[in-house]
Amino acid sequence: MKKTVQTLSLLLFTVLFILATYRLPDWLPADIYLRIDPLLGINAVIAAREIIPRILWSLLLIGATLAVGRFFCGYLCPLGASIDGLDFLFFRKIKRPGFKANARLRRWKYFLLIGIIVAALTGVSLVYFMDPIALLTRLYTFVLHPLVIAVLNMLLDLIRPVAHGLGWVGLSHLHYIQPVYYMTAVTLIIFGTVIALSRLEPRFWCRTLCPLGALLSLISPLGVFKRRVSEACNRCMACQKGCPMGAIDADPLKTSTAECIQCRACARICPEMAITFPAAFSGVGEYSRPELSRRGFVASLAGGAACGFVATQTPFTLLEGKHQLIRPPGAIPETEFLRTCIRCGECMKSCVTNTLQPCLWESGMAGLWSPKLELRMAACEPNCHVCGKVCPTQAIRSLSLEEKTYARIGTAILKKETCLVWAQNKLCLICDEICPYNAIVFRPIDGYRRPVVIASRCNGCGYCEQRCPVKGESAIVVVTDGEIRLKEGSYVAEAKKLNLEFKPDPGDDKFLIEGSGLKVDQEGQEEDKRLPADKPVPQKPRGFL
Amino acid sequence: MGEKGVRKGAIRMGSIKRVGEGYRMKGDDRRGISRRQFLKATAAGVAIGLAGDPSLLCAAEETDLAVISGEPAAATKKALEAIGGVARFVKRGQRVVIKPNMSFAKTPDFAATTHPLVVAAVAQACIEAGAREVLVLDYTLQRAELCLERTGIRAACKTLPGVHVLAMQDRKFFQEIRIPQGKVLEKVEVLKDVLDSVLISVPVAKSHSTTGVSLGLKGLMGLIWDRESFHYRFNINQGIADLATVIKPSLTVLDATRAMTTGGPGGPGDVKKPNLIVAGTDPVAVDSYGVGIVPWYGRNFTGRQVEHLLIAHQRGLGKIDLEKLKIVKAAA
Repeated sequence: MKKTVQTLSLLLFTVLFILATYRLPDWLPADIYLRIDPLLGINAVIAAREIIPRILWSLLLIGATLAVGRFFCGYLCPLGASIDGLDFLFFRKIKRPGFKANARLRRWKYFLLIGIIVAALTGVSLVYFMDPIALLTRLYTFVLHPLVIAVLNMLLDLIRPVAHGLGWVGLSHLHYIQPVYYMTAVTLIIFGTVIALSRLEPRFWCRTLCPLGALLSLISPLGVFKRRVSEACNRCMACQKGCPMGAIDADPLKTSTAECIQCRACARICPEMAITFPAAFSGVGEYSRPELSRRGFVASLAGGAACGFVATQTPFTLLEGKHQLIRPPGAIPETEFLRTCIRCGECMKSCVTNTLQPCLWESGMAGLWSPKLELRMAACEPNCHVCGKVCPTQAIRSLSLEEKTYARIGTAILKKETCLVWAQNKLCLICDEICPYNAIVFRPIDGYRRPVVIASRCNGCGYCEQRCPVKGESAIVVVTDGEIRLKEGSYVAEAKKLNLEFKPDPGDDKFLIEGSGLKVDQEGQEEDKRLPADKPVPQKPRGFL
Repeated sequence: MGEKGVRKGAIRMGSIKRVGEGYRMKGDDRRGISRRQFLKATAAGVAIGLAGDPSLLCAAEETDLAVISGEPAAATKKALEAIGGVARFVKRGQRVVIKPNMSFAKTPDFAATTHPLVVAAVAQACIEAGAREVLVLDYTLQRAELCLERTGIRAACKTLPGVHVLAMQDRKFFQEIRIPQGKVLEKVEVLKDVLDSVLISVPVAKSHSTTGVSLGLKGLMGLIWDRESFHYRFNINQGIADLATVIKPSLTVLDATRAMTTGGPGGPGDVKKPNLIVAGTDPVAVDSYGVGIVPWYGRNFTGRQVEHLLIAHQRGLGKIDLEKLKIVKAAA
């Protein structure tokens, strides 16, 4: 039963992940696994110092764990399922060394939990690094999704000639756009380590390191179902060896309730059928405290505080106020954003243009994996507002399409030194052509038509920056100046206050020809021998003679 | 009193300007007739011709342009009939590539993309003519998925068997060909499917900030891989003409049911509703007619005033002067 539930849970996680894209229906909480994760919730709330409504979903899991016990790890956790699955694949037949110091090592997860929470108190969110759901979502986003697409495209290329020959038009033209991300290698190494640790013991990660497991184990001993061993036990110790969590002591009658994930492997193994999991009120059962040494406790407090110090007392914190990076539309103000964002990567997965990319060190340790827009690579699509929809902590607010349009992420600035028109008199106006808001217009300046940005119409979508044909850095770049970052309230109202209008006036081009007074050139007139680039541009719509 | 005076002055200035414009046009036009006059004359001529000789009605092959007004689907259907039926170009068992403009993720009312019902009507006519399959193809500027969805073209063609709406965004679907008569382009990477199929171009009528208008010839740029170099490496108008020497649509069906007269090609811009479909085998002639349908950027132009059309005409790629064309006009 456990394997079935695990498989189904991993499948559900995968399906929701796949659905987290541009066409996600409003009613579907694709980020539900992240929402019900109480560790993420508690941390985001502590770090952001406010209640985040979407996080209240995690009360579900807290309640269920209080009532039932630490079943989540054994049945629902998609990372647990992945670990079990890969364990079966890789390490099934390997004799593992085992650890004498097991009991001491497993305290580590509590220390990590304490460290993370203390760091959150200092205003640094570190939970993302270790939280199993965030970790697995990142693996899916940065590694599995690109990998699956790459393999799919490879297979499609292989069968393309056949499909073409058979006249299967759809298949012979099928190609998926390859998503790419900066942190793929790093993410893969971390996940690989988590899996490789199972070489030492089954579920080494879950036993020893997982801070969510630690949190759940603290409340699980109150749960209803507990392992009970009857007198038929002959102390063969098969259960102790078979327990994937190492939750059975030297005395097989006793159970470390905090560690037990109720997988019931012991009950299946027991040759005497002596083990049952009857329902019992928590008051009756034993409450096994996690054995934390005082030294370890103090050290983890200090460790968390140290992390907080290292992450906050840097120039990056001072620079936060300058908003150096282009954040997704609807991202709350930078400091709160960094505290609230749990780096799950869901926004980057869902991003329809792939412009959302994880930060490496651009905003320091406090900004690792946080989403930024890579506008030179792709623009922010005006018709899409999915990143906010899937953000479990609402570090990116879920906005209607209209609100999102006004959630300005920056302003385009034109660099005259490199612009082909300004610097070289070339006939280029790709930025004007692609701008969805008509924020770039051509004005007659010194006898030439030059592109200029009308800042009040630019919401920073970045199409101009992406398309600019200048090699290297674009001649038109989006900077964060003018961005609107609101923790609450309407972006539309804010934009109106600032006199911004992202619905352009279609008549703007008209001024170019009104009252120009120039004679319309006609065929047969004396030919202008100058190169087109050197001719003064007539004040007429481009392309007409 | 003062106010009245000002208003009077304004009116007077306006009228002077208008008179001046008219005068200038007359004076500069070597043919000595205004565009409007000669359009009327052409229409009249065609009408007389039709009335006088009923056989002209059947001799669709001699018709250069069919200009049909009406609702998108009905007008398209009638335009195809008037030009002699799609069967003239599409033989049984052939593969057809329809090239609409679906480059932008915009709904039809922006007039940045071809009307979905026009595309569907052409596609259906091809299937009825016995086409093996019909590929509706474009290399979109915005994300393929969004373009297919927002333009409504995929939905419109969904029920038509044998019709596939595809937006290509990968270089592997393109193949390099030489341009023997190229002036600025020696070779170009073209969508492979175009090379072994009957090509029908179904552009939308819109303004364009580089080329003035974007009609059929400009629309051919949607079939090639590297179009950015058109904007900065050489004269785009020569480039379009070069392209037209190797990519030759059998038929061009210009969707002027709506026309984006400013703000093109991406829009949003000022959308007029001429409610016209212009069909013809000569891509330059169709475009030339398309130029005269509406004022662009608030001003009337003829085909000869559009640089890329003029270049294409001068290089022998089609007729640009409307008075030399046989035009059938009707309402659907």
